Amino acid sequence: MSPDVVWRALNAHAIESREWNGECVLYNDVTGSTHQLSVLGSLVMATLLAHPSGIPITALVRRIAHDADDVADDELQAAVEQTLAALAELRLAASVPI
Amino acid sequence: MILRELPPGELRRRLAGSGLRLRIGPVVAEILSSFRTVETAVALHYAGHEVVPDSDFADFHVAVEPPPGVRRWVAPQAYFKFDDRSAFLPLPAAQAFPLLEWGLNWCVSVHCHQYLIVHAAVVERGGRALVLPAPPGSGKSTLCAALVARGWRLLSDELALVDLSGATLTPMPRPISLKNRSIDVIRTFWPEARIGAVVPDTLKGSVAHVRPPIDSVRRAQEPATPGWIVLPRFEAGAATELRPLSKCDAFMRLVDSAFNYNVHGRAGFAALAEVVDASVCHTFAYGGALDEAATVFDDLAKA
Repeated sequence: MSPDVVWRALNAHAIESREWNGECVLYNDVTGSTHQLSVLGSLVMATLLAHPSGIPITALVRRIAHDADDVADDELQAAVEQTLAALAELRLAASVPI
Repeated sequence: MILRELPPGELRRRLAGSGLRLRIGPVVAEILSSFRTVETAVALHYAGHEVVPDSDFADFHVAVEPPPGVRRWVAPQAYFKFDDRSAFLPLPAAQAFPLLEWGLNWCVSVHCHQYLIVHAAVVERGGRALVLPAPPGSGKSTLCAALVARGWRLLSDELALVDLSGATLTPMPRPISLKNRSIDVIRTFWPEARIGAVVPDTLKGSVAHVRPPIDSVRRAQEPATPGWIVLPRFEAGAATELRPLSKCDAFMRLVDSAFNYNVHGRAGFAALAEVVDASVCHTFAYGGALDEAATVFDDLAKA
């Protein structure tokens, strides 16, 4: 993924979510869709929602590693990239040029 | 006045004339029908329901009637009418009462948007509701009947009416619909059950209804708070097994089972989230050992 972009939640104002045991369900009032997110998906989404102006992927990975008490290594970065791609497909997140 | 207190002949006069207005949980339905089978079944299954005066408001005006013309006598049929219009294709006249029940389900699920409506059986014990969302064939109604036989209060066999605050479930006690082998299973398990005529060859196979307990009908204005969400699954011969279910999985199942979730948007999401938040969630597999199944739920209620 390009380092010259930041990631942010799409239609953050329209999103409602509820978390149980690390997983979350999320409702998007713009699309009318409801989604179930994995633990990592929930962490990524929560981080994006906490950064309305966007967050670079390296910072996102560091933040998630910190929150999950994990190491910000290549494996985590790959998993986060995959999650971001899935969230983009669901129209929950998008990358924007810096 | 409740239906069984009507003077002799009055039920027929109302069904065939001005209409029978019954309070069914939070709604009043005006029912018209000239079918004797409907009269007999209504007399049995709605015996404890309140008869509302003709001057009172009715939410639904429904009728189950034969068509005009030759189909009244040749391969006779029954039409379900809502506000004097046919709502569905006709069915054989022998299915008139099941048609009324299916029609009433339809009325509630497409009109009562003051609730979030989930396709689920709901029973109550100690003020807490056990919600059993499940697709057809999962043994939901059989399990529901078995639990009611064990003293759980019936809120509904088919439609969970969730208040939009998510804090309560509103009762709508109506006949429990049994299908095929479950009819004899419940006859054996619950010999005192008042089961109506078996109607064969419906789209769902043979169908018979169990009268809701009078006490459940009498307490129809008492809501219950969410307590448990259990996804039942019947599989012949399977061992009885209750397993924890994640709240997110339970939530998504409720969304999939809701009739009008899309109508409510954010409010629907919030209401379902409150129900899940307040509930202990499980899956439940059983293979027909109803005694054992009922004991599992009795223990769950005690925990």
